Amino acid sequence: MTGKWRQSFSRRELLRTSAAAGAGVALGGMLPAWRARAATELNMWWWGEQELPGLQAFVDDSVKKYTAATVKPMLQDTAVVISQFQTAAASGEAPDIQFLWNGIYHMESVWLGYLQPLNGLVSDEVIQASNPTLLSNFGGNTYRVGWYPLPMIWIYNKDAFDKAGLDADKAPQTWDEFLAACEKLKSASIAPVGGGIQDGYWGEWYFGHALAQNVDSAGETIGLFTGERDFREPKYHEHWVKLEELRKAGFFNPEISSTELYPGIDLIVAGKVGMGLSVGSRVPADSKATNGRIGTMVMPVYGKGKLAGQPIFDSQGLGIPAKAKDPKAAAAFLEYLQSPDRLKALHELTGWIPANKNFDVSVLTDPTVRDMWQRWGLSPNIPYLSNLVPGQFYEQALLPTAQQVVEGKITGEQAGELAYNVAKEWRDFNPDIVENYQKWAVDLGG
Amino acid sequence: MNQTSRFAPYLYVAPLVALLLFVFGYPLIRIFEFSFKMVRGIDGPWIGLRNYELVLNQPLFWESVQHNLLLLLAVPFMVVWSLLIAVVLYERLKGWKLYRVVLFLPYILAIPIIAVIMKKLFQFNGPVNEVLRWIGLDFLALDWIGSSDVALWTVMMLIIWRESALGIILFLARMLSLDESLMEAARLEGANWWQRVWHVILPQMKVVMEFYIVTSIITILSAVFAYVYMIGGGRGGPGTSTMVVELYIFNALIRTSLPGIASAVSVMLFLVSLLLIVPLFAARRRANEEETA
Repeated sequence: MTGKWRQSFSRRELLRTSAAAGAGVALGGMLPAWRARAATELNMWWWGEQELPGLQAFVDDSVKKYTAATVKPMLQDTAVVISQFQTAAASGEAPDIQFLWNGIYHMESVWLGYLQPLNGLVSDEVIQASNPTLLSNFGGNTYRVGWYPLPMIWIYNKDAFDKAGLDADKAPQTWDEFLAACEKLKSASIAPVGGGIQDGYWGEWYFGHALAQNVDSAGETIGLFTGERDFREPKYHEHWVKLEELRKAGFFNPEISSTELYPGIDLIVAGKVGMGLSVGSRVPADSKATNGRIGTMVMPVYGKGKLAGQPIFDSQGLGIPAKAKDPKAAAAFLEYLQSPDRLKALHELTGWIPANKNFDVSVLTDPTVRDMWQRWGLSPNIPYLSNLVPGQFYEQALLPTAQQVVEGKITGEQAGELAYNVAKEWRDFNPDIVENYQKWAVDLGG
Repeated sequence: MNQTSRFAPYLYVAPLVALLLFVFGYPLIRIFEFSFKMVRGIDGPWIGLRNYELVLNQPLFWESVQHNLLLLLAVPFMVVWSLLIAVVLYERLKGWKLYRVVLFLPYILAIPIIAVIMKKLFQFNGPVNEVLRWIGLDFLALDWIGSSDVALWTVMMLIIWRESALGIILFLARMLSLDESLMEAARLEGANWWQRVWHVILPQMKVVMEFYIVTSIITILSAVFAYVYMIGGGRGGPGTSTMVVELYIFNALIRTSLPGIASAVSVMLFLVSLLLIVPLFAARRRANEEETA
């Protein structure tokens, strides 16, 4: 900029330029409104790239190829998926499509009036095929379509089984068979069972598998929080007693308390631990890494509940907020994501399976993955009970109790006492939510 | 002074005061308000002191407070350690400037980075325990981050190591500004190293030490979130052994959807911190007065 130019630039010209710039900005601001008239615009807040790499590519690809509306996706941070949505919904600024974790993680938003039922918006056929699971239902309505599945599984290392003289093609099915397998693995200097519980999630997974052993329905579980049932009753804390037994027998890997969940699963894949908890989305990679030497299994049965021994199926999903600008357009996009082309694209871009039952399984080349999907995704299954747990109970009882039992700080019975106390505290802290929980139990067969 | 000039200074600072009131004052008022409400979403019904009653009757809250108080034990260690290192550096050992940088390094690094490394080092089968076992000190190979009895002490070690860096730099800066002639005089009078430290250096360090102690106490009461979040698996674990008040607030707000409860605890923490800020300001005022004198 030259000094001459500055001298010749008068105040009048400055004002004129400012006015022109202001007009430009104002016109620019009007442009989106004009464009919105040309095509519907949908805001989609989503999550999942964090646990399923490649999902971002799938979302981008889907948005690009969708022509009926302009979809603006925003990847949410894990810590604020719920709070960000609830705050936006409360102030009338919710997106048109929202990612929803299953069970209580979206049901609270239903009770606050932030989500609308999908019945009548998304076709029943698509909802059913998408595998939203029972935990998406409240008051006879469904609030999510399934997106990608999370079969909750146990895995075992077949090489470790071979070394211990166990049949690698036959996983233990009963608790006695399981204990016998643990003994043999221990004799072969392999930590029989475990993983990593330092970040607490192992305790959540374990609860989901093990509580199911002694209940007849998901609704029965809710009674433990609403006060109709009691964690101090032996059958409702037997799962923690079993943990205590495993610890006393020395069956856990010694580093379980200082190892996080996923590095803990890596120990099973590496053959350092024989058996443990995992999630279906890891199986393709783990099976590939071990040349098919990872086997999947349902938690060995000790309980007498109707849910014992059943495969557990969970799914991540998407829903439509109550104040979405154009719910029909949002529903059309959700249906588009369930179209055969999109199901195929999700598999190609993430290497994982879409939750939809109509997905063509012939593209699955790994027999372990195909077998798992057949047993967990397409056969009769049960919901993941940890998704029924209120947040306060999750933080103050579910995760801490398992950690403390595993390290030998408390007994299984004491864990039941602690869980009872925290459930009672939760009712005191959340009197307005208890009634909704009781209604929800009806939908869940309680 | 005429009417205009009397008000002029206030007019100059008015925009900044308004901005500060908006940025800090408004949220503070809302937090106080929320602490008396059962908030769902962005508002809720007035419930009086119920949130305070629930919190004060909850064992987990008191356990969190207890952990914060236990962590206060770190403060004397931090002061002594920082003083010791600062005095050694003050002696201008060969390469002392390099040591100064190395010692201050932990304070520059983000807590999560340090904590992640510490976590790897202190795993049950991690490098620290491997070395301890290798040299025959198996009894010291503890489950540093996996045991409820040990985890809080591991957090404390990390806090001492990192927060001492600030103390070292503060103390050293003060020592370097001391009047050299006093030290020289003491030396000529035959005072040994310990006597010089005790009778000459330490009395002149009183104010900066007060400042460091108060800021450290405030840090431990209200700014150890990152340490416990990283070491305690994000949950204050194992069990609830590293749960502190800040994490309690975070959990109430983000993880258990209880903004009213989070606000009530925040108000209490704010009031306690306020009480501590009074001696901090007093220490700073004294420092200013001494410098002026």
